[in-house]
Parts: sequence; C-alpha cells; structure tokens
Amino acid sequence: MIKKLLRPLVAGFAFCLAWPQLIFAQDEKPVAPVGRSYALTNATIIQAPGRKIEKGTVVMKDGLITAVGAGVTVPPDAIVIKADSMYVYAGFIDGLSHTGVPKPKEERTERPKDPGNPPPDKAGIMPQNDVRNLINPSDKSIEELRNLGFTVSLTVPYGTFLPGSGAVVLLGGKSADDMVLVNNAALYSELTGTQGVYPNTIMAVMAKWRELYKNATQNKSYAASYAANSNGISRPASDRILEAFYPVIDQKLPVIFKSERVMETQRVFTLKNDLGFPLIIGDVKEGWPIVNKIKSSNAKVFLSLELPEEVKKDDKKDDKGKSKKDSVKTDKPKTAIDIEKEGLEKRKKESIALYTSQPSVFNKAGITFGFSALSAKSKDIQGNLRRMIAAGLSEDAALAALTTSPAQLLGLDKRMGSIDNGKMANLVVSDKPYFNEKAKVRYVFVDGNIYKIEAKDEKKDAKAIAKGTWNYTSEHPTDKSGKIEIKEDKGKHSGTIASGSGSAVELKDVNLKDNSLTFSFEGSGGKQEVTVKIDGDNFDGTVKGSQGSFSIKAKRDPKSK
Amino acid sequence: MKKIQLFTGLLSALLCALVFHIDAQNPKGKFGTFALTNATIETVTKGTIRNGTVVISNGKITAVGENVSIPQGAETIDCKGLYIYPGMIDSGTNLGLSEVGSDARTRDFSEIGDIIPQMKALTAVNPNATAIPVTRVSGITTALAVPSGDLFPGTAALINLHGYTPDQMFAGFEGVVMEFPRSGRRGFFDRRTDEEVKKANDNALKRLNEIWDRAVQYHKVDSATNGKGAGYYPEMQALMPVVRGERTLLIEVNPAKDIQAVLKWVKEKKVKKVVLTGVSEGWRVADEIAKAKIPVITGGILELPTREYDRYDQSYASAGQMAKAGVKVIIRSAENGNQNFRNLPYHAGFAVAYGMDKTEALKAITITPAEVFGVADKIGSIEVGKVANLFVCDGDPFETKTQIKNVFIAGWQMPMVSRQTLLYDEFLKRDPGVNKN
Amino acid sequence: MFGQDKGNMLIKNATVLTVTKGTLTETDVLVKDGKIAQIGKSIAAPQGVKVIDATGLFVMPGIIDAHSHIAIDGINEATSPVTAEVFEGDVVNPLQMGIYRALGGGVTAVHAMHGSANAIGGQCETLKLRWGTFDADAMKMEGAPRTIKFALGENPTRVHGEGNNIVPRTRMGVEFVIRKSFSDAKKYMEDWDAYNKNRQAPGFRGAAPVYNLRLETLADILKGNIIIHCHSYRADEIFMLLKVCKDFGIKRLTFQHVNEGFKVAPELAAFGAGASVFSDWWAYKFEVYYSTAYNAAILTKNGVVTSINSDDAEMMRHLYHEAGKTQKYGQLTDEEALALITINPAKQLGIDARTGSLEVGKDADIAIFKNHPLSIYGVPQFTIVDGIVRFDRANDPADMRLLVDPKQNLDETMFSEKGRDNCMDGTEFLFTDNSQGKK
Repeated sequence: MIKKLLRPLVAGFAFCLAWPQLIFAQDEKPVAPVGRSYALTNATIIQAPGRKIEKGTVVMKDGLITAVGAGVTVPPDAIVIKADSMYVYAGFIDGLSHTGVPKPKEERTERPKDPGNPPPDKAGIMPQNDVRNLINPSDKSIEELRNLGFTVSLTVPYGTFLPGSGAVVLLGGKSADDMVLVNNAALYSELTGTQGVYPNTIMAVMAKWRELYKNATQNKSYAASYAANSNGISRPASDRILEAFYPVIDQKLPVIFKSERVMETQRVFTLKNDLGFPLIIGDVKEGWPIVNKIKSSNAKVFLSLELPEEVKKDDKKDDKGKSKKDSVKTDKPKTAIDIEKEGLEKRKKESIALYTSQPSVFNKAGITFGFSALSAKSKDIQGNLRRMIAAGLSEDAALAALTTSPAQLLGLDKRMGSIDNGKMANLVVSDKPYFNEKAKVRYVFVDGNIYKIEAKDEKKDAKAIAKGTWNYTSEHPTDKSGKIEIKEDKGKHSGTIASGSGSAVELKDVNLKDNSLTFSFEGSGGKQEVTVKIDGDNFDGTVKGSQGSFSIKAKRDPKSK
Repeated sequence: MKKIQLFTGLLSALLCALVFHIDAQNPKGKFGTFALTNATIETVTKGTIRNGTVVISNGKITAVGENVSIPQGAETIDCKGLYIYPGMIDSGTNLGLSEVGSDARTRDFSEIGDIIPQMKALTAVNPNATAIPVTRVSGITTALAVPSGDLFPGTAALINLHGYTPDQMFAGFEGVVMEFPRSGRRGFFDRRTDEEVKKANDNALKRLNEIWDRAVQYHKVDSATNGKGAGYYPEMQALMPVVRGERTLLIEVNPAKDIQAVLKWVKEKKVKKVVLTGVSEGWRVADEIAKAKIPVITGGILELPTREYDRYDQSYASAGQMAKAGVKVIIRSAENGNQNFRNLPYHAGFAVAYGMDKTEALKAITITPAEVFGVADKIGSIEVGKVANLFVCDGDPFETKTQIKNVFIAGWQMPMVSRQTLLYDEFLKRDPGVNKN
Repeated sequence: MFGQDKGNMLIKNATVLTVTKGTLTETDVLVKDGKIAQIGKSIAAPQGVKVIDATGLFVMPGIIDAHSHIAIDGINEATSPVTAEVFEGDVVNPLQMGIYRALGGGVTAVHAMHGSANAIGGQCETLKLRWGTFDADAMKMEGAPRTIKFALGENPTRVHGEGNNIVPRTRMGVEFVIRKSFSDAKKYMEDWDAYNKNRQAPGFRGAAPVYNLRLETLADILKGNIIIHCHSYRADEIFMLLKVCKDFGIKRLTFQHVNEGFKVAPELAAFGAGASVFSDWWAYKFEVYYSTAYNAAILTKNGVVTSINSDDAEMMRHLYHEAGKTQKYGQLTDEEALALITINPAKQLGIDARTGSLEVGKDADIAIFKNHPLSIYGVPQFTIVDGIVRFDRANDPADMRLLVDPKQNLDETMFSEKGRDNCMDGTEFLFTDNSQGKK
C-alpha cells in the first residue's frame, strides 16, 4: 500500500481506470510539491557493498544525490525524513522483466492458409516494436516491484521469438516517456516458437534468427553503399524488421534473451557464436551446471529471482494420516515404495538446493551478475534473496547483484548503483537491514521522488472497518452495481443494499471477523449470501444465490467511515 | 552387379522349386494322423522327453513318449535334432480385430461407449487377417483377442490361429474386459491440473461403482425371477456372469497406485474371477498381488520403464520380479500397433535374460494362461488327450536364430507360409532385375 | 567445447567380435586416449590403466542407430513441406534419460533425426552418447558429415496436403516439391556464383542475391556436402527419389524404414544407396501393409548397404536383438547380422572411418555383453564411448537423472508410450484422430 504523496495525478488516473463508473469520488486536483529536495537523516547508509556510514545523512535535490555522509548539513529547503534506525541503500535494478507492460490478452487467431509463410507479426517477428509504446505507467507491476526497493527495470515487450526492443525505465512516472531512462536498451528475444505456424520449433526459431541476421547484414551493407553513391544502383527497400538489427550488427545494441533453462542458454550461445552479436542472458535459472561455459561466453548475466518452492516441512498433507499411523507402529518395516519415496524426496531437495545456490556459485566463479524479476512473483522476491544468502551468497554479493553489478552491466554505473554525490536519487530505505527476515521497506526514492510504503502486515493485524458507504460492482447477471450502507453500533453491524435502480433492502446477519465480512439479503432471485474481504477502502468477494456464485467488488467513500 | 549374378546362380534351383510350388495352389492346412518322431519334446507339464514321438490324430494328441507305436497311415515327420513345444499363447492382442493400425476402417477393437461389455471380440475376429498366418508360422497357435477403449470396452475371446469362421477358431474362453480408471496423468502432454486429474479419476471410479452396483442389482432381479423379470439390458446381461463368478474379469491396470486400488476394489466387491492385465508397475506391489492370489498378464516386456527415475531395465525385469514374489505370471506381447505378436517368445526371452526363471517364462506363454483361462485340459502343454496345438523347431524358441519347422493347430498341419514369406520368395532374387529383361 | 574426455583401458580375455576382421577368442583390446590402440593376445596392462576382465564375455563395436529421435528437443518443424534450414544440432539435449537407456542397450552413437512430416525436413545430427555432460556440444560427434531428413509418402502428404491443403497431397506432389526445391537451389547457387564472379570486376556495385538459409542448405546437398536420409516405405516412391537424385547428380543417399526396399533392391544396389530398415515392424499404416521381416536379408543379399534402426526410444535399447531377427528371417550370418547395427549404419552416416568396427586406430566405442549379442540372452554389461565407461550394469543405481525437476510431483507414473520419440512427434496438433501420429 502506497500513499503517493507527490503523485496525486497518477493516483487519480489509476483510480479512474479501476473504477470508471464511480462518480461520487471527489476530483483530487494535483498539488505541486513544495520542492524536490529531501534529506534522510540519522540513518545507516550502505553506499555500496562494503561501504557503510553509521548515523549518516543523504541529501537529494532535483533527482540527484547532492550530499552523503555522517556530518552533512541539511539544507533549509529539504524536507527532512527522520530515518533513525533505518537503513538506506542504492535503489535496486532489475535486469529483465515486463514491468509496466500490461500482459496482452491471448487472442485466438485463425490459422493462416499457409502456415509455412505467416505474416511476420503472426510468427512473433516484431523486433521493430518499441516497449515505450506499450508501457502503462499505472500498471500494478511497477508498484509491486518498487515496493520491494526496485527503482529501475530493463523492461521488454511480451511475446515470443522477437517481441521488440526493451528500455531501461524508472519505476515511477506519469507517462512512458517520463519513465524511460534509456530507450532501445536491448533487443529482446526468446527461443520460443509460435503455435501452428513457422517457426514453430526452437530449431526453426534459430534458423530464422540466423537468416534474419544475415539478411539484415546484407541490407545494411547495401544501404551503406547506396548512401555513399546512389548513382546507377537500385534503391534499397525500407524494412523495419531488418533495420532493427542494424545497431546490433554494429555491436551498439545487445540482444537480451530469456534464458531460463540450461539448454536454452547453450542454444543462445550457439547463435551468438555463429553471428557475433553482443549478448545478455536474462532470467537464468539453471546456469550452475554450465557456469564455466557461461563465464567464457562473456555474455552479461541476469539470474532469475524465481526459485523452486521449498519442500515445506508439513508438505506431507496427503500422508498426514498415514505417517501418524506409521509413527504409532514404529516396528513396521519400510516398504520398497517408502524407500523409493525417501530417495526421490532427497533428490528433489538436493535439486532445489542447487537452484538456490546458483548465485553463490556464480559469485565464486567470479562472474558479475545482476538479477531479473521476469518470472518471479513479487511476493516471493525478498524471501528468495534470503534463501540465496542462506545458500552461500554473501549479503554484500547479494547487494552488489541488486545495485552496482546491474548498473555496470547496463552501462549505467556512472548514474546509479551506489549512493554517491551526483548519482540519481534512487534509494531504498528499510526499517531493518534489508536482508533481515523482518525488514520492511519504508521509503523508495525514484529519480528523487518519494514513495512511502505503509507496512502491509501492520495493517493486516488491525481489524478492518466495515462501516461506510460502499459502491459495488458485480458479475451478477442482473444486479451489476449499486450501493451498500453499513452501520456499526457498539460492534454490531447492520445495513442496507440497493442495486442501481432498485430500492434498499435490509441486510441480515452482518458479521465482521478480522477483515472478513459476511451478510445476506433477500434479492429478487431469493436469498443471496455475500462473503468479502475488506482491504482498506476496498472489498472483494463473492455473492452466492440460486443463480450461482458471482464476484463482487466495492469501493468505499473514505469519508463515510 | 557381379555379386548379385553370382548369388543368383547359387539360389536359383531352390527358388524355382518354391515359386513353382506356390503357383500351383494356395497353401492349405492339412488334417490327418501325424507322427513326429525322434524329437526332444518339451511337454512343459511333464518334463522333457528325449528322442520321443508325438502322435496327432483327429485333432488331438494321442500319444507322447519314447516308445510310442505309430498308427498305420500316419504321416511320419522325422524330427531328429529338433524340438517340439506346445503352441504359444499370446494373452493380449488385437489379432483379427485390426488389419492396418492407422486405418479406422480396419480397426474393429474399439466400439463407441464406455460401458459396452456386450461387444464381443469373437464376432469381429477376421479369420483371414493377414497377421494370423504371419503370427502362427512363428509357433504362436493361440491368442486372446482383446477389445479396448473405456471402462468396459467389451468381451475378449481366446482363439486358435486357424479356421475359417470365428466358431472354428474359438478356443473356449471369453472374459469381460475392464480398463480400470487411471489415477495419474496420461503422459507429459497431459496438462491438466492435479485437481482436474483427481476429479476425473474420482468421477470414473464413482461411475465404475455405480455400474457394478447396477450389475449386482440386475443379477439379484434375474435370480429372483429365474431370468424372467430383469428384461433386456445387454450391458448388465454381459456383466452378470462376472458378478456371479462364472466369467473372468480382465482388469487392465498399470500404475502401482491403481493396482492397489484394484486389489481393494476386487476385495470390496467380492469379484471372484479376476485377472490383472498390463501391470507394468506390478513389481512395485508384487507382494500385495501375490497375497491377493490374483494372476497377472503382463507385458509387453519390451517396453520403456514407466517412470523417469526407474532403473533402465525395469520393464524387462518386472515379470521375473513378480514371479519371484509368488505372483502367477502370464506374459503377453501387446504388439498391437505392429501386429508383431510373433515376437511373443522374445518378450519371454527378455524376461529370462533379465532374471526370470526360464521354465517359468515358458509356462507364462503356454500352460499358465491355459490354466488361468480354464482351458488347461485342452491346450498349454503336450499331453495325451489335449488339442494338438504345437510346433517343431530347431532350437530354443526364445532364440531369434531358431527356425520354426512345423506348426500344428487343432491337429491341422499349417502351411509354413505367410504373406511375408511369399514376398521373400518372390523378391529375394527379383526377375527382372535392374534391366527390363 | 569438443575434445571430450578420452579414456584409457584394457579389456582382457574376451571373445572379440570385430565385425570387419572376424571373431577373435581370448583376446585383449587396449584403448589409449579414446582410441583402439591394440587388439591381440596377452597384452600387458600399462601402469595405472583400468582393466576390465571380460573372461567369458563378448566384446563388439558400439551399436549405432541410424534413425533415432532421442537427445533432441523438437522433432518436426511441420509447418512447411520444405524446412531444410532447420537443424537438430541446435536443439541437442544431453539430459534426456533415453540416452542412458540406450547405453544400457550397448548403443554408443545415434543419428538424431528430424521427423518425417515434410518432404524435405531438417538437418540431423550424429551424436555420441557421452552421458553425464550438461554440455550439448559435447554430445556431437565432431567431424561427422552433415545429414538431412527427407520424407515420402503418407506422412508429408497427410500433414501438408490433407492437413493444410498445400502441395503435396500425393506422391506426385512429393516428387514435384523435391524437384522444385532442387531447381530453386540450383538457380540460387548460380546466382551467387555469378555475383561472386561479377563483384571481382572493378567498379561492380550490384546487389547480392538475397541470402536464403533454406536454399543454402539445399545447395549444399547438390554440392555433395550433405547426405540425404529419406523416410520412405513404398517401392515406387523409393524409385522416384533415386531418379530425382540421379537427375540432380546427388550421390549420397540412404533410405530410412524403406519397408518395400526389398522390391527395388537391385535398383538400390546399382545406385549405391543405403537402406536403414526396421527388423519387423509393419501394418501400423497402409503403406507398410505389404512388408516383410525378410527385408533386411533380401537387401543384404542383393548387395545393398543395410542397417537396422529403431526410430524408437525403446527399440533402440535392443538393436542387437533386432539384428538377431535377421537370422530367423533370412538366416544371415553372425557377421552380416552384426554389421547391420555397426559398420553399415556407420557407412550410411559417413563415420565408418571412425567407428562401427573394432579396428586399431578407430574410436574406442565398445559394447561388452554377457552371452552373444545376437542371443536373446545377451545382456550389455559395459558400454564404452571414446574409451570411457558410460554404462556399467554392475554399477547402476536406480535413479540416473542428471537434472531433477525441482517441481516434480513425486509419485507420478509417466507412461512413456506416447513419448517414444518417433517420426511424427510434434505434429499431433494437426490431427484430432489419435490413431495418427504413427511412424
């Protein structure tokens, strides 16, 4: 949960997107900030891995770090944030994700008449695509990643094969242009074919890759010769697809591949070795068995922040009854099946450990790497970092992989990655050392703009409030929207519900337990039972009746609480 | 070229004789009295007889032994240096029910519907299927023709591989087939969620139990009314003899978990005559199968292990492991896709190479199926009074080098030709060769 | 990344089936740096060298499967009747369990092929079964000639003609597709030759022909740089391709499956084409209805270089047994039968100078059997690739996976019958009838 202190306009925008039909909401006019200068005082500042300042101050102005140190004077125009007992780090950098790009809906297209020759876009060949045209600044992926301390992502379009070029973006901003730090930062590619058309298999994707690259090389050299002297030779045709490769051929633009699996990585290397383009491998999950091959490839590396789930200690839910029985009859000998199962469990556990220790293995091998959030669920990322550390990665190395290393790999080390004068004011502030299990991110600064993060857990602990005027929408076939009024009297709840056009009906059995609200009422289709979870001024749940079960969402007028 | 011409000279005499013979008439079986003399006789049930004679008369084995008098008029076949074995029984085929695997018009083993035990394989067996002679010239005299499909796909029939009508071929056993609902995924391509898989399995089991309960009810009504009150209900009529324990239920089941579920189900429902088929993971629960005293028809042996982490030779070793645990094991070839039931002895041979007792393996394709199918008084061994299903060969029938010299089915001496041998005869030295003349 | 580990060892006191140089009893085989250094009696073991006591055992050349689909991710690029540009070498996967299982059957090298959905399919890769590596490149048999898959008959006509309404729908169409492809490639080659010649001229500023990887590959076939391995069944289609190849001057050609090869054995022999057959598979589709298990014998006796292949992850494990069947169907000698799975497939793949028989100087690719490999009781005990033991039956723990899926469901039976890596894998999406997708 974020209070966008300085982004009311963005907040309003997001609000409208989510709740287009709510007319009761007051227009929140943008209020200009007093200034763009902040001072974080009395904090533990980790400028970079291994560089720590106790009780120090960071001063920022106009998006830049202007002072950092223990005895820094706070300028009078700075808004002071007392960060006593807090920890300040350089903002984290994610090396590959779709952050800010809404996931396109899967469209079912008709099979083309000649699946061997589909139009390029149907075959996933769209290198001319620019991720800037796809970014939605209010996409929730931005907020999710930023809440973890990430301030910058290399974001790429969704797609297969050649979805387009990626950009380094700031995780905050009013518009795509506002967010973009480096446009056309890398050409994105996946070795994934397209269902039903050429190239359908990985091998065809690779063949097509080679052919496109060679065609582009040919075209480029012909265009250059035409530019030098056009007299007497036919004009080169314009070709956006091939032209997208030109900077790659010039070694100015790297290709970033999604490279999760150990074979995928090697196939990417095959292409690189054949064609010689600058290479970044992203979201690497199984790099450890070929760490030497990766090292000698000189490719830039972003390891995945996703890890296989740990085997939970109480994961034997299915066998719970059984294992209890077994433990009673301790003298019962193990069957062959039991022994086999134990062996398999052991190997699975060992395997998970290998995935988890990957960053440590890379670190020991002397490979500079960053992390990528492409396939990681944001709720898992902090925990996964802790698991990687527990598996042998030092905290400094983990921090480097989040800050200095990706800055270096993306050629941005002069601008970010550490807390130093003159660098961009990208910071993350946590209440405990970041890798501590109980650490919570409190503030994130992106380009000198502050995002305050309200600790979720604390709020969860607090009992939700049901009272107020809720405007609901539902997937119910006949009752799509309306208003619910809930009153509270000494802990007892009551209320009414009115659909868009109808008159209000009394609610029955209104109950609030923690954040779970239940009630029922007599609708036109008989008794309806509602179960929802309240989250701040929103609730989300289901309405059940004879016609079936439908989702219901509502937003509360904050003043009605 | 020279090589070919040289070769031509060597073989031409033999070839001419063969071609001439074939041109003369289509080969037919021959019925009569035969004396197979001077042979090593593997009776299977009564040991090995060296330098012995088998007399076949009127379709039956009339004498077996070292000192046997040869009836007058008998055709004597000198089997010096040769061996006589009982005809092999392949207990899981679609022989006669399929001609060309991919051609739906020739696939007669799978009817529409999930509860169709009344569909009778025997009806659809084509006595002139090309695969029948191809199979029998390898010493396989008998096969179980099995319908397949969903829960109760039909009734299987045991047939001898000679005859011009299904009735002539019928070898005295029919069993209702059940394909027990599979609990796991069907393969790597099965993308259903765990919940979906479980739900589908639960539903299938529920349906199975409903059908079974209905069959039990049908049997009760039928018994109470002396067969008059139950009415025409072909599905239940087909299941009723199974409920009554008069007919065998052949349950196809493979994953270990499902085998355990079947054992439980059989016990709960008190099904009397049961045979498990497939049973590729039977080795995992061999003790439980042995304890339940339920025989299994397992195979094909030449298969991949069922799980990624299984020992590489698990499918070869499985039959032997079950036999060692005390399970009554029958081996089938299950070579349905390729109509290669002729490979049955090799499936047994591989089981031996990977640990099964050789005698057990031989029984698993002769007397054991005969016993389990209740026809041990007729086939499965070389004994006086049994149907004359046997073959003569020049060595261990499990060995690929071994040539099958003679095959008798129900006393008929089979012509040792099939389309495959005819093609050999015609094309070994094709005429014309490369040139037109 | 090539230059694999090479082993040293001494195999003592075995019956050595050299295939090309007779059978030697009580003989030793000395391996140095992955090559066979010496074959003879009473060879003294060099110091520190691993010794395998093979008393009573049979030593034969490692088995070669000229038609397999293991160790690759993706078999059919079934979207177009011609896909010469795609390459199985790009998608080698050394982690597949099929590799270890094949070693358990004495196999040391396989021809990892594209499928048979297309008249002209993709290029294939010859692999050595160097189990244990994660390095895809390390599996490739360095220096093996390039090969490509062609396919005639039902598969390409069904996939493209029936499935997509695109030529070919008939065997006439298949011939046309191949002839047109070769003709286009010839033109392409000529255009490039002309361009390369013209650009030598001073002041030449014309455009190069548009680079086309498919035509490049086809041109390489015409130049004799790639061996064609053609999926085929019927005599007429086999004869057709012989004529097409003659017309385009193509000489390196092996037919795969070639169930009716026996009908045109004299023509195959005269052309010098190879035949790589199943021992006895038939009747799974109409074009293999008129088959005979005597095929290999007829071909062999007509002088055709013949091999027996698997096209199947299971059958691959007992190719020695499949070869043994030729002694039942045609009474081939032991040496003839063993040649079908060793030196002959090596010839068809162009690797016979390196492997396929036990001769001094060849790669130490060796299978050691208990009992004669052509006996049903033959059981591989050791399988050796480049002098390194990759399979040892006595030291064979149950779970041999190199990479364990950390998300795997523990108790799950994954029946492999649908995952047998056959020719039509990857085309299932084209069919709704589940009877399809056979060989």
